[in-house]
Amino acid sequence: MIKLKLKINKKDYEVEILKENINQIKVKVDDKDFVFEKQKQKKEQISVAKSSIPKRDFSKKEIKTPITGEISEIFVKVGDFVKKNQKLIILSAMKMENEIISNSEGKVKKILVTKNQKVSGNDTLIILE
Amino acid sequence: MIKIKRLKKVSSTSALAKKEKGEPWTVIWAEEQSAGYGRKKDYWFSPKGGLYFSIILPKSNIDDLQTLTILAAFIMAKTIKENFSLECFIKLPNDLYVKQKKIAGILTENVLMGDVKFSVMGIGLNTNIDKFPKDLEKTATSLKIELNKKIDNEKIMKEIINGIKKQLKTISE
Repeated sequence: MIKLKLKINKKDYEVEILKENINQIKVKVDDKDFVFEKQKQKKEQISVAKSSIPKRDFSKKEIKTPITGEISEIFVKVGDFVKKNQKLIILSAMKMENEIISNSEGKVKKILVTKNQKVSGNDTLIILE
Repeated sequence: MIKIKRLKKVSSTSALAKKEKGEPWTVIWAEEQSAGYGRKKDYWFSPKGGLYFSIILPKSNIDDLQTLTILAAFIMAKTIKENFSLECFIKLPNDLYVKQKKIAGILTENVLMGDVKFSVMGIGLNTNIDKFPKDLEKTATSLKIELNKKIDNEKIMKEIINGIKKQLKTISE
C-alpha cells in the first residue's frame, strides 16, 4: 500500500493505492475510490479528473450583509438551488429596504437567520455549497 | 440627464424601475398604481390624481443613500412650502404629514451584493385626491383637500427630482 500527498491547483489531495494486481489498481483519493482496469485505463483516468473538478466548487460560499438591520423576508429554504443575482433576503435598514442577492450559484446549505432577526454588518446570513 | 417615462397605470413604479433597471436618473411616473407600496410592503393608496414616481439613482454608497432619503423628505417639504405656503411635518426619515395626516411617503430600495448594485427611490405624494376610503380618511390627506385647488403634478415632480439630484451631488462629493 502506498500513501501519497498531492497538491494540485493549491488543493491538497490524499491519495492511497489500495489494491494492485496485474489487471486492476484501486486508488483512493480523499474519501473516494477509483478502480482502474488495465484495458480501460485511459478512460478511467479521465473520470478521475472529472470527479475532482466539482469537488473544488463545493467550497463554502457565504452570503453576508454589508449593513446592520433587521431581516424582513427570506425567499429561500435549505436545499434550494439559487442562481447568481437571485433575490435571497430583504433586510430593512436605516428605513430603507435592501434586497440581498446571491453572489454565486449553489445549493442553500444553511440559513443562519430568521424573520425579524436583527443582524450586524458583515454577519453571515446564508451558506451555499 | 433626467429622463421621465410617463405611464398611465402600473402595478408599482418602483417594482417597474427595479425590473427595467435603466440609466441613473431615469424616472418612472404613473398616473395610478394598482399595487403601490411602502415599507414592509404596506399598501399605498394610489388612485388617479395623485403623484407617483420612482427615480433610478446612481450607484452610491449606502450611507449616502440614507442621507439622501432624509434629504428627499426635506426637499419635498420645501417644495410644498414654496409652492403652496403649506407647512409639512417630517416624520423622519421618510414620511410627510400635514395636520397629523400623512400626505407623502418615500421608500428607497437597494439591491446589495457586497456593495450597492442598484437603488430606486419611490415617492408617493397625495396631490389631487378628493377623497380617501373610510379606513384612511382619518390618517391621510392630500394637497387638494388642504388647499382646495388642483395641483400641477409634473411641475412639482420635476422640482422634487431636481432638488434630489442637486443634493446627491453635494453629499457624495
